[in-house]
Amino acid sequence: MNTFFLVIGIGMCLLVLFCLFRVTYGPTILNRAVGISAVGTKTLIILLIIGVIHHRVEMFVDISMVYALLNFIGCLVLAKYLERTGEV
Amino acid sequence: MIRESDDVIVKTVARLLMPFITIYALYVVMHGHYSPGGGFQGGVILAAGFILLVVTQGIAPIRKRMSEKIAVIISSIGLSIYAGIGALCLILGGGYLDYGILSRILSVDRAEARSLGILGVEIGVALGVMAVMCTIFFAIFTLDEKNDRRNE
Repeated sequence: MNTFFLVIGIGMCLLVLFCLFRVTYGPTILNRAVGISAVGTKTLIILLIIGVIHHRVEMFVDISMVYALLNFIGCLVLAKYLERTGEV
Repeated sequence: MIRESDDVIVKTVARLLMPFITIYALYVVMHGHYSPGGGFQGGVILAAGFILLVVTQGIAPIRKRMSEKIAVIISSIGLSIYAGIGALCLILGGGYLDYGILSRILSVDRAEARSLGILGVEIGVALGVMAVMCTIFFAIFTLDEKNDRRNE
């Protein structure tokens, strides 16, 4: 079972690289914002998988919930900033 | 000046989420002894909920609840709780922040006094961090407001 989660975690890490590509070379600022958000969501899943592998999932659930919350608020603040500066 | 968000979905989701964020922050503060988190992290989550409200509801209605002046007062109270518990241990004859000595006035055994002392310090840290985060947020987000006033 551990190998299964390890493979899924490594696959998620590879997917993060694809999102990171979009963040670096994204044509518009919206692509970058969505890319950052997707990286945050994948990080959350990777944290949970690390928790399952180490048999301490109840600790990592706390961290991943905070991560989801900060990701949501960060995305909202970024949208507000772009609205104010009028780049979108 | 941060205006109110004109999207009903964002506003409603923020309003629904706010109590859960606060409860979660209190959980992180209370369980700081034996799980990740503690005073600083709980304070940051409290401040994140506050920032979410400011971003979605506009800064004017939130300022009635939490102005710069109140933030300074709350941060002072948090620092006083932290330093006060430390000094209390010092007065009772232990070292600074040596919570075990609090068992003399709390009428519990040493281990429980230690746990309660850490909890008190963490509440103080959470209050201080929350207020300081709000102060930093106000200072950054009202910068253009102040510049406008200076130019007039």
